[in-house]
Amino acid sequence: MSPSLSAIALSSLLAASSPADSADETDLVEADEDEDDDEYGPFFEEEAPSDLEYLGQPTPRKHPVLSVGDGAFCFVEGTYCKASMILSADVGAGIRAPASDEGPDLPYAQFTFRGGFAIRPAMIRPNRDKRKAWGAWGLGVVSSWSKGTGSVTVRGSGQSLTEEETNSTTVFRIAAINQIWLSKRKHATHLDFAFGGAHSDVLTSGVRLWGTHAEVGMGFGGWGGMFLSGDFLDRDTRVVLGFRGHGIAAAPIIAMALVGLAAGGAL
Amino acid sequence: MFVSLAPFVALALQPAPEPSVPEPAPVVAAEPEASEPEPSADPRASEGIPTAVVAPEPETPEPEAAEPASTSPQQPVADNERFTVAAGAGGPPFYDEADVAALRARHNIRTEAREREEGPRWRCLIADPACGRNIEVNALAAYTYRGRQGDVRGGGQGDPRWSSGRAQYDLWVNLPVMPEVVGDKLFSRMTLGPKGGLIFSDGGSTWGNLGMAFRYWLGRGRWAPSVEFSSALTFKIGEQQTKDRPEPKWMMTRGPVGFTADIGIGVGGFGAIVLGGQYDSPLAREDVPDSVRTSAAGAFFIGFRGNILWGAPAAAAVATHAITQRAVETP
Repeated sequence: MSPSLSAIALSSLLAASSPADSADETDLVEADEDEDDDEYGPFFEEEAPSDLEYLGQPTPRKHPVLSVGDGAFCFVEGTYCKASMILSADVGAGIRAPASDEGPDLPYAQFTFRGGFAIRPAMIRPNRDKRKAWGAWGLGVVSSWSKGTGSVTVRGSGQSLTEEETNSTTVFRIAAINQIWLSKRKHATHLDFAFGGAHSDVLTSGVRLWGTHAEVGMGFGGWGGMFLSGDFLDRDTRVVLGFRGHGIAAAPIIAMALVGLAAGGAL
Repeated sequence: MFVSLAPFVALALQPAPEPSVPEPAPVVAAEPEASEPEPSADPRASEGIPTAVVAPEPETPEPEAAEPASTSPQQPVADNERFTVAAGAGGPPFYDEADVAALRARHNIRTEAREREEGPRWRCLIADPACGRNIEVNALAAYTYRGRQGDVRGGGQGDPRWSSGRAQYDLWVNLPVMPEVVGDKLFSRMTLGPKGGLIFSDGGSTWGNLGMAFRYWLGRGRWAPSVEFSSALTFKIGEQQTKDRPEPKWMMTRGPVGFTADIGIGVGGFGAIVLGGQYDSPLAREDVPDSVRTSAAGAFFIGFRGNILWGAPAAAAVATHAITQRAVETP
């Protein structure tokens, strides 16, 4: 009897069986259908098996790290997560370039806290294995808050120069994020592209305006990554290169820094 | 001529050997009795597994010094090893243990069992040669000798140098860029990856840093020594300021991008003795107002950096941070 005929016969039997029994037997039907799975191609192929593995990472975990529901939601972004929480802290430095009549370009540095979530809209299941479902595309929303160094403006010319300075710059951003996961390996590398808006102090005006925010980043799973981002506001542009770590990894660093500053009386 | 052919004639007249039990495979070529392989060389022989010998090349005894080589009745000396193929296996040639040992010796392949069986601890959150990709949080506590250049417009007045401390908290992402295969296991020989974090010193001086961290493992054990090298861009984030204030207050502070680099000798991923330096670029362009100009500065440091998971490095760094804030007065 061919697999397809056996599946039909088994389905007929299951239709007359009790609901309690059908739950287990349905899996059998799906398993038979897998044998006739005609999906074939680079996106349907599983990772090639390897004879070599690290002693510290002997077998693939059944579920992604810190996840619920077979990777339905992950608290740390993972290769096989259907939805992920984004939570990170970062430091970055770059340049603040005001309009030419507002003063010189100056160094700019900031620290940032970021949160959001991302889903994988198009996940493909090779051989219908839910745990191996994977898709290269990720889509989500992120929001971040930064505190950066202040602004200096120099207006006028000759003897009528006017200098103004602020202590810090606060920025709030919200953006859509697109991800491209580059492989199926655990903690895979991915490229992130975020585009949205930034609400920030503009130079020394004391006015907060909305501008454009754009970021290109590269992450290693959900644990860390580097990025290049820019906030483009009216007469005020800031470009930053930074490094970010997941909140779980960044939290002890922040805690140690605050304890050290507080114990030293610097706060 | 008659003398040299005598052994072959004797061999040809010798009766065929009795078949062993179970029924043996046909022998491809017979060997002289003197060149029978050692029982220990072929474990199948002791197990009753029939074998056939391919390319029989008897071991050539050392010719006696008094006997000319041209008169020896022995067969020509072979340059290669002898390989014994199991007969009746029904597949590709399967060589025995002695053959595999010969191949290992020829290619200098390790013959002993895998060196290490136990895995790393803490799910690779403490770096280990047995780990692939992993992350770690490191804390550095170091003695620091700081300095700052004076302002050239004032005749170079003020060129302070002082002893201080340094606390640094970093997140490392380790990527195995040179794995090593031992048996069926991979070990990291060299890792390289991005890192970033915060640096603190006296006067509330706070820098961010982002760069690359490199580690070369000199062994494969949990306590294997390693050489670490990291370098990063550094940028001032904040410090205590007294301008227009009766009491110093930590505030965001601007500074151009400098760099830091260090080299360390470590044990496992647990800790390392580190020697390094840092350079802060000056902000002294002509179009920058005097009030925000900064001088070039730098530091050398020597200390201990380790993974915070076992506690001591974290405690040492926080203590160094606090003591530096309270005990060191910034010139």
